[in-house]
Amino acid sequence: MDSSVLRLLKKIAGPDAVLDRPEDLMLYEYDAGVDKSRPGAVVFPQNTEQVSRVLRLAHEKKVPVVPRGAGTGLSGGAIASKEAIVLSLSRMNRILEIDIPNQRAVVQPGVVNLELSNATAPLGFYYAPDPSSQKACTIGGNVAENSGGPHTLALGVTVNHVTGLEVVLPDGRITEFGGKAQDSCGLDLAGFFVGSEGTLGIATKITVRLTRLPESVATLLAIFDTVQDAANTVVAITQSGITPAALEMLEGWLLQAIEAAVHAGYPLDSAAVLLIELEGMKEAVEEQAEAVRLACMNQKAREVRRAKSEQERQLLWLGRKTAFGAIGRISSSYYTQDGVIPRTKIPATLAEIARIGQKYDLKIANVFHAGDGNLHPLILFDGRDPQKTADSRLAAKEIMSYCLSMGGSITGEHGVGLEKMNLMPLMFSDDDLQVMMRLRNAFNPESILNPQKMLPEAHMCREVTAPLPKAKVEPVPELHL
Amino acid sequence: MSTMAATSAIERELASVAGNSWVSQGSSELVEINGIRPAWTVSPGSAEEVAGILRLAQERDLVVATAGGFTKQQVGGIPERVDILLQTERLNHVEHYDPGDLTIGVGAGIRFAEMQGKLKEHQQWIPFDAPNLSAATVGGLLATASFGPLKSGFGGLRDFCIGVQFVTADGKIAKGGGRVVKNVAGYDLMKLMIGSYGSLAVITRANFKVFPRPRQTRTFVCSFPSLQEALAFRDSMLKSPLTPICLEIASPQAPEYLCDPPTPRDPDEYAPARPVAPPSTDWHVVLRAAGSDNVLGRYRRELGDQVSRELEGGAEEQYWSWVSHFEYSILERHRNALVIYTHVSIQNTGAAIQALERVAPDYNFIPAMLGRAASGNLVMGLIPLAVGPPAAMEYANCASAFRALLPAGSSAIVRHCPKEAKGHFDVWGSTPSDLTMMRAVKQAMDPRKILNRGRFIV
Repeated sequence: MDSSVLRLLKKIAGPDAVLDRPEDLMLYEYDAGVDKSRPGAVVFPQNTEQVSRVLRLAHEKKVPVVPRGAGTGLSGGAIASKEAIVLSLSRMNRILEIDIPNQRAVVQPGVVNLELSNATAPLGFYYAPDPSSQKACTIGGNVAENSGGPHTLALGVTVNHVTGLEVVLPDGRITEFGGKAQDSCGLDLAGFFVGSEGTLGIATKITVRLTRLPESVATLLAIFDTVQDAANTVVAITQSGITPAALEMLEGWLLQAIEAAVHAGYPLDSAAVLLIELEGMKEAVEEQAEAVRLACMNQKAREVRRAKSEQERQLLWLGRKTAFGAIGRISSSYYTQDGVIPRTKIPATLAEIARIGQKYDLKIANVFHAGDGNLHPLILFDGRDPQKTADSRLAAKEIMSYCLSMGGSITGEHGVGLEKMNLMPLMFSDDDLQVMMRLRNAFNPESILNPQKMLPEAHMCREVTAPLPKAKVEPVPELHL
Repeated sequence: MSTMAATSAIERELASVAGNSWVSQGSSELVEINGIRPAWTVSPGSAEEVAGILRLAQERDLVVATAGGFTKQQVGGIPERVDILLQTERLNHVEHYDPGDLTIGVGAGIRFAEMQGKLKEHQQWIPFDAPNLSAATVGGLLATASFGPLKSGFGGLRDFCIGVQFVTADGKIAKGGGRVVKNVAGYDLMKLMIGSYGSLAVITRANFKVFPRPRQTRTFVCSFPSLQEALAFRDSMLKSPLTPICLEIASPQAPEYLCDPPTPRDPDEYAPARPVAPPSTDWHVVLRAAGSDNVLGRYRRELGDQVSRELEGGAEEQYWSWVSHFEYSILERHRNALVIYTHVSIQNTGAAIQALERVAPDYNFIPAMLGRAASGNLVMGLIPLAVGPPAAMEYANCASAFRALLPAGSSAIVRHCPKEAKGHFDVWGSTPSDLTMMRAVKQAMDPRKILNRGRFIV
C-alpha cells in the first residue's frame, strides 16, 4: 500500500484506526467463506464524514475499497486484494434511535443484528431478519447481502425491513434513499440498494422496521425415519394453508454432531427432523400447531414434540443455529452452499445431492430453510488435500447447476460475492448482466468500490470500455481535522 | 423524404415487427394521455417484438408510452409527445403456476383479476386489492406501484414480486430475480421497476409469490368523534397482539364515497319535506381480521363497544371494494377533483390529515380522505365546491400549500387533477430520496429518453 495513502488514511480516521502491518492484516484476509486474500490496509472510520473522506481519497488515488462488517459473509464479499483498502464499519456500531411509535430504528451499519432485537425486546418489538450468524453479523452487512434467516419465511428478508438509508457513494458524496416512511415519491433506490453487495455505495445509517413481538410462539420438532417423508411434509404444510414463521430441516447424522456440540435434545437415531415455528395471536397459534402436527403425522412422522418452555425452545434453535459450528468438530473444512429450488422439488433435489456426494466420495450434510426451498448443503472435506478441495468445488457446481435446472437460484441469502461470480452466467444472460453492469456503473463508474464482485469479469471489461454515463457529482464540503 | 412518406415508413416498420393487424395509426377515440394522442398504436405479441419496436423507436427518436388496462394513464406529467402507444394486451398468458410452490408467472398484459381468479381455484391469492383490478394489468400495477387496503397487513407488490422480465430502451430483453421465493443473485431489479412508471423499461413478464387465501374474514368499523381519538385507537391497535389484515382510517367525508353513486336528482324537483341527514362528523378506524371463529371472537372481545358496525360476507366484500375504489368514486362524481397520494411515517399521518383539512377550504375544496393507518399511505380527495370552484392555478397553489405543511420525509404525489392545472406545477413533488441518482439510473436505462418522456419524475 502506497505510504502516502496510509498517511492520509491515518489523518482521516486517526492513527489507531488504520492497520497495515502484515500480522494485523492477516485477520482480514478471509470471511466465513472459502476465498482468501490479504488486503493492503484496513481503516476503521468512526462516522459518516470519515467514510466519505476515505472514499474521496480512494476515488482520487484510484485505490479500490472493500467494505466489511463482521466478516461473517459466506460468499467472499469482504475479501480484498493487496492493492485494496478494507473499510471496516465495526466502529460505527451505535443504535442511533429507537422510535417505537413509528415502528422504526435508525442504526449505524456496525450494529450487531441481535443487539438491535435485544435493545427493542423490552419495548415489545424486535428486528425480524435473523441470519444464523445474528450474534455476530452486522446490520450493514445484512443490507449488503439482503440477508435472510429462518424466520424470514413469514416475515421476509432484509429488503422487506429496510425503509431508509444514508449512503456514501463511491466518489464520497453523502446521500439519502427513502426514510422512515414506508413509501416515497420516485424510484425505490433503498430497495434497489439492499443486496447490492457493497458495489453501489456504503450504507452509513440504516432505518429499519421493527416488528411487534408475537403474543404466542409454538415450536415443534417433527422426527422422521426417512428424509423423503420429511421433505414431503414440507410440501404438505405449505399446501395446507399455513405459513409457519420458520420451517427448517436437518438431516439425521448431522443431529449427532449437533448433539455432541450443544446438547439441544435432538433424537440421535432419526433420518431427518423438521423444526417448525408458529407465531402470532395465541388462538391462531394453537390451531395451527395442531394442524401442523396432523400434517406431520399424516406424512409418517415418528413423533412430533413441542417445546414446553422458552428454555426448551431456545435449545432447539441453538442446535439449528450452531449446526455449521458443530460440523467443525467432525470435519476440518466444509463448504456451505446456498441454492434455492421450488419447494415441491425438495425431495428430488435431496436425492440428487446424495448422488453427487457419492460420485465425489464427499460427505454432504443438509441443513436448510425448507419452507422457502433454500438449501444449505455443507460439503465436508479435508482442506489439506488439494484433490478433495477441488472435488468439493466441482460437487458444489453440480449442485448449483441442478438447482438452476429446477428453476432455482444460486443464492438465497449468502450473496454472489467472489465465490459465485462465475456461476452468474448460468443464471443470467449476457443482456441481463449488461443491464446490471450499466446500473452498477451509474453508481460506481470506475469500480473503485468492491471491484470484481458479483458481476463476472468478462462482462465488466466489455462494458467498461463502452462510453459510460456518469452521475453528476456534488462536491462534499471540506472538513477540518 | 416527405413527412408523409416517413410516417408510412415507420408504420411499415412497426408492422414488420408486430404484424399488420397489430399496428394502427393514431389510437382509438378514447385514448389520449393528458390530451396528447399517440401517433401509432402497436400491440406486440412477445418480448422479442417489444424489443424490435423499442430498437426502432430508439433509432428514430420516437417517444414510447406503454399501456396496459388504461386505468392510470392520466397520472403524471403531460407527455412532450407520444409517438408510439405500446399496448401489452397480447402479453397476457399465465406462464407457469405451481400451487405447491406457491408461485405464479404471468405476462405483463394479463388483467390482475384474471390471475387472481386462477389462484382462487386452489384457495390461494396474492393479498393485493388496488382499485380497478378487473381492468388493470399486472405490468401497469407494477409500474405504478399500486396498492390497496391490504397493504397494511401484507405489504405491497415489492414484497410479492420475485422476478421480472423487461425490455430496455435499446431493445435488450433482460430479467431480474427468478421463480423462487428467496433469491439474492444479482441486483434487485424488481425494486427498480416497481414504481418506475414505465420510464426505465417495458415490463413484459413478472413472477410472484402467492399465499393461502384466508378462509374467513370479518370487518369491524369503529367510530370516533375526533381525529385525535381515532389516531389514539390506531396506536393502541399497533401495540396490541391483534394482527388485522387491514387497518384503515377514514375522514368524516369519506363514507360519502364508500357507496354506490347516488341516483341523479331531477333539478326541477322541489321537495322541502324530504329529510336530510346531518353531515357526519365521525372519524372511522376500520379493521379487517382473518382467522377462525375463535380468532374473530377474540377481536370482538378486545374491541368491545368501540365497534359501531360489524360486516361479513357480501356486505364486507362490497365495503372493501368501495374502499379500494375510493379515489375513482370521487372522480366518477367530480371529474375535476384533486387526488393526492400522501406517503408519511406512521406518526405523521395525523399531521398530514390536519394539513389536508386546513388547506382544502382555503382553495374552495372539500376534503375526503382514507388510507392505510398502519403504513402511512393516504388517499386524499379534494372535491371542488359546486359554487365558486377553484381556478387551474389554485390546484397548483393548493398542492404547494399542502406540501409545505407536511413533515420532512413525506411525499405528496398528485394522482389526478385537471390537465389544465398540470402546466402550473410538478405533480410528483419532492422526494426524500436522491433525485440525482434517480436521474443517473434513468440515464443508464434510457439515455435517449424515449420512454414516457416528460411524464415521470425522471
